[in-house]
Amino acid sequence: MSFSDDEEVRRYIGGIFETAFKDEEIGPKLADTGLVLKFAFTEPDSVLIVDMVGQRVHQDAESSSPGATMSMKGETANAYWQGKVNLPFAMARGRITVDGNVADLLKLAPMAKKLYPVYIENLRNDGREDLLV
Amino acid sequence: MTTTQTQRDYDSLPVSSLSFWAATAEERETTFRELREKRPISWHRPLEGSLMPPQQDGIWAVVRNEDIRKVSKEHDIFSSAYGVQQEEVPDEILDAAQSFLGMDPPRHTRLRKLVSAAFTPKQVVKIEEQIKNQATRIVDGLLDAGDCDFVQQVSKKLPMWTIYEMMGLPMQERESAAHAADGMVSWADEEVAAGREPGTVLNDSLVTLLSIGLEFAEHRRAHPADDLMTNLVQAEVDGQRLTDEEIGAFFVLLSVAGNDTTRNTISLATKAFSDFPDQRALLLEDFDGRIGTAIEEFVRWVTPVMTFRRTVVKDVELHGQHISAGEWVVLFYSSGNRDERVFTDPYRFDITRKPNQHVGFGGGGVHFCMGNMLAKTQLRAIFDQLLHRVPDLEVGEPSYLVGNFVRGVKSMPCTIG
Ligand code: HEM
Repeated sequence: MSFSDDEEVRRYIGGIFETAFKDEEIGPKLADTGLVLKFAFTEPDSVLIVDMVGQRVHQDAESSSPGATMSMKGETANAYWQGKVNLPFAMARGRITVDGNVADLLKLAPMAKKLYPVYIENLRNDGREDLLV
Repeated sequence: MTTTQTQRDYDSLPVSSLSFWAATAEERETTFRELREKRPISWHRPLEGSLMPPQQDGIWAVVRNEDIRKVSKEHDIFSSAYGVQQEEVPDEILDAAQSFLGMDPPRHTRLRKLVSAAFTPKQVVKIEEQIKNQATRIVDGLLDAGDCDFVQQVSKKLPMWTIYEMMGLPMQERESAAHAADGMVSWADEEVAAGREPGTVLNDSLVTLLSIGLEFAEHRRAHPADDLMTNLVQAEVDGQRLTDEEIGAFFVLLSVAGNDTTRNTISLATKAFSDFPDQRALLLEDFDGRIGTAIEEFVRWVTPVMTFRRTVVKDVELHGQHISAGEWVVLFYSSGNRDERVFTDPYRFDITRKPNQHVGFGGGGVHFCMGNMLAKTQLRAIFDQLLHRVPDLEVGEPSYLVGNFVRGVKSMPCTIG
C-alpha cells in the first residue's frame, strides 16, 4: 500500500518529523544533528525537505541545500518508517538510493527508531490501518 | 532489560580513546598489564567512536584470560544479541551484517548449524589438498614477483581463495567482495577512508557485500552447485527457507570473518619469524612435529581479533564488581593473550609453547570461532611453503590499520633474498 498523492506524503511522512520536533527528548536531538535532508519520492511523486535545525518540513527544494537526498517509492517510505525496511539492504537492492553523506543518515538511526511508533500511531489515529505493514 | 544509571568514576587508564587504538599493540599492552594486575574489571568512557554518538555511559573492560573465558561461556548473562562491537553501531548495520555472531541461543544455534557442518575437521580435511595447492601457487607467485608488498602478494590471497571457494563465489567477484569485507573493519582508518566519513565507508562496504551476496544467492537458486551458498538457499529452518536478509547477512559474516583474520595472522607471524629467526630455525628442524603448537602460538602472538563485546542481561558480579543489566562488557583478547597468570614468559614468541591457553579464537562457549580449523589448515599450508621454499624471506615494518577491532596490517614490504 502507498499514499495516494503528494498531499498524503506530506501529511504522513512530513508529519513524523513535525511530531518529533515537538517531542521534548527527540526534538533537540534532531536539531543537534545539524542536518537538512531531502526525500524524493516516486509513486506518488513528491519532495520533502526536512530541516532539523530550523525544525520544519517544507517542499521548496530550491531554497535549501540538503546534506543528503534519499530517493524511494512511497511504498518503501511507508514501510521504512514502520521499521520494516533495513537501509543497507534496501540500498543493495536499489530500493533506496542515497545521494550525499550516508554517514549522516546513520547518525540519525537511533532517533529514527524512536519515530517508528510515532508514525504508526499517527496512522492509527487517522484511521489509516490500510497503510500499516 | 533495564539500564541502571550509576555515577561512577572512569578508570584513569584509557582504553576508549582513538589515540589508544592508533597506538601499537605493545603500547596498549602496558595499559592492559596494569589493569590485569590492579583492576581486572574496570569502568571506562564509551569508545570515542566515529559512527554515532554513544548511547551508553561507559564500558566494563575485562582483561584477564580467566575472566574472558568466563564471560564467553555464560551467554545467558552476557548476551551477543545487542551488538558485539566495542562502539555503538547503528542497528540497521548490525541487522544486515552480523548474522549469528550477533545472536544468542536458541536462534544462534539454529543458524550456526546451517553452515557449521562445512567447517568441521572432517570437511576441512576434504579441502586440505586444494588449500595446499593454492598455497603452492601463491608462493610460486611470490618467487616470480620478487621483493614486493607481502600482504597483497601473499597474506591476502589464501584466505580469500578459501572462503570464496567454499561458498562457490565466481572468481571475478572475489576481489571486490574481499575488498568490501576489509572496509567493514577498517572504517576508523583515515588512510582507508580517504576523506570519506567512517559511517560512509562502513555503509558503502556493507552495501557492496550485500549486493554481491544477494545476486550470487539468486544465481544459485537458479543454478545449484555443490557449495555453501547452494546449501544456504536450499536450507530450511523450522520448515522455512532463509530470507534474503538472512542469506545476505551470512555472506557478510563469512566474508568478514574468513578474510582478514587469517590474513593478518599470516602477515604478523611472518614478521615474528623475521624478528625471531631462532624460532624459524626451530620450526624448520621438525616442521611436522612442531607446526601444531606453532600455529597456536601464531594466533596468541598476533591476536588478530582484539576485542568483542557482550551486553549484560541480568545483574551479575565479576571479581566482586557489580555489573548491572544493560551495561556493556568488552573482552580484550589481546590482553588475555599476554596474561602472566596463564603464560610463562608471555612476551616471548615460542613456537613450542604448551599448554597454550590463548583466547585468540574466543574464550570458548557457543560463539567460539567457527573457522578455527579452516584457519589452522591454511596457516599450516602457507607456512609449509614459505619456510621451505623462501628460506631468506625477510619483512620490513608493517603499516598497521587504526581501529579497535581487528589488528590489521595494510601493507608490509618483503624481500625474498
Ligand atoms: C586466525 C584466524 C581467525 C581468528 C583469530 C578468529 C577469531 C575469532 C573470534 C575471536 C571469534 C569470536 C569468538 C567468541 O565470540 O567467543 C570468531 C568467531 C567466528 N569466526 Fe573466526 N577467526 C579466525 C578465522 C576464521 C575463519 C577462516 C572463518 C571462516 C569463515 C571464521 C569464521 C568465524 C565465524 C563464523 C564466527 C562466529 C561464530 C559464532 O558467533 O558462533 N573465523 N573468530
